[in-house]
Amino acid sequence: MTDLPVPIGLLAELTHRCPLGCPYCSNPIELTRTNAELDTKTWINVLNEAASLGIMHVHLSGGEPLVRPDLAELTNAAHLAGLYTNLITSAVGLTVQRFSELRAAGLDHVQISIQGVDPARADSVAHFKGGTRAKLDAAKRIVEAGMALTINAVMHRNNMDELPAIIGLAENLGAGRLEVAHVQYHGWAIPNRAALMPTREQFLEAEQIVIEARARFEGTLVIDHVMPDYFAERPKACMGGWGRQVIVVTPDGRALPCHAAATLPGMIFDNVRKKPLADIWGHSEAFNRFRGTQWMPKPCNGCERAEIDWGGCRCQALSILGDATATDPACALSPNHARMKELASASATNTYRFRRIGG
Amino acid sequence: MTDDTRPKLAPGVKLHTNAKRGTVLLAPERILELDELALSIVAQFDGKKRISEIAAALAKEYDENADVVRADIDSLLKDLAAKGYIKS
Ligand code: SF4
Ligand code: SF4
Repeated sequence: MTDLPVPIGLLAELTHRCPLGCPYCSNPIELTRTNAELDTKTWINVLNEAASLGIMHVHLSGGEPLVRPDLAELTNAAHLAGLYTNLITSAVGLTVQRFSELRAAGLDHVQISIQGVDPARADSVAHFKGGTRAKLDAAKRIVEAGMALTINAVMHRNNMDELPAIIGLAENLGAGRLEVAHVQYHGWAIPNRAALMPTREQFLEAEQIVIEARARFEGTLVIDHVMPDYFAERPKACMGGWGRQVIVVTPDGRALPCHAAATLPGMIFDNVRKKPLADIWGHSEAFNRFRGTQWMPKPCNGCERAEIDWGGCRCQALSILGDATATDPACALSPNHARMKELASASATNTYRFRRIGG
Repeated sequence: MTDDTRPKLAPGVKLHTNAKRGTVLLAPERILELDELALSIVAQFDGKKRISEIAAALAKEYDENADVVRADIDSLLKDLAAKGYIKS
């Protein structure tokens, strides 16, 4: 066992409630109900524990974190603990009033997700009318206040053609960062895979557009491109490696190494209501299960990339191969890589299953 | 970059110190580790001090030639600006 890594980020999933219903939401299919959510005091305790563990970024996320009336209080607690506070929001509900509260509380950065630039089309994907308008208003307010803004655009088959317009929008809004994020097939995106998966041509074109835009906006707009695993030859390091950088805390207080880890069978997750975060990070079975390289099967075992991508995504190995301990099939060295390619080219359907609490 | 430029960190970028890691530069989703000299330079980027003043002060502090320090500042600034850590 090597030295215990020091985590960098806390993904605080404050709630699963959200006025929107995107069909690619990374929340689990089993959503947590309001009365099971952690209370203010417990969250503040978690934030303080995170800071003493060495964590630097806290991502206040959901669901839609704005549905929690104590969001400003939690932001302030994180700020006072010395954490960098990042609000991940749909911006629906980010009114003038709420925004000024959050700003006063010490919020450092806001990430707004958009579904596209065409309001009718985007609102229909998010299953929410008027959402696009609200997002743009909020984005303008943030930039005018001199706060850092990231636009997160979730890309899929039906909005890939809007990419140039999305880049233009981020520029016009004065965002400092744009995240072009292809749908990752976890949570709600799995049952919707066939309707969301882009074609290979679409993907390659998007890549070209991003490369050109990066050169054009160097120094003014940072563009991050989150690649879809289905067209990759090597997997991504899951959350920077299992149990290496990130702790996810779910609305009901379970601490997970990744937001989809709860889908893994037989895993027991400790709860922050019962155990200190440092204890969970260092000693819990779940965090140690796939930490490091000991657990790896062939071809990861002995592979020169073992400490680069850490064998890829456990949840993807499970959802595609039915085996969480297998090499991520996104890797071309995996004996099951062909299975992944097949899914990427599987025929399209055009109906979504929208996320709903109580399903 | 002229003598009178007053460098400032971009919105959402800040220096952060914690016991486990020392001081780093934080930005949304990014962390930049800097050496001691770079850290003392960045700490001066408050949007008020001019490059010429920063160079003079640091040259004195480190007992270095002001032109050498100035060259360090310029190259650091260029690098940080390209990565979006500095708003030009
Ligand atoms: S195991 Fe997979 S789903 Fe879970 S965070 Fe890692 S990459 Fe994402
Ligand atoms: S074999 Fe495993 S460690 Fe090697 S590149 Fe593939 S997933 Fe990564």
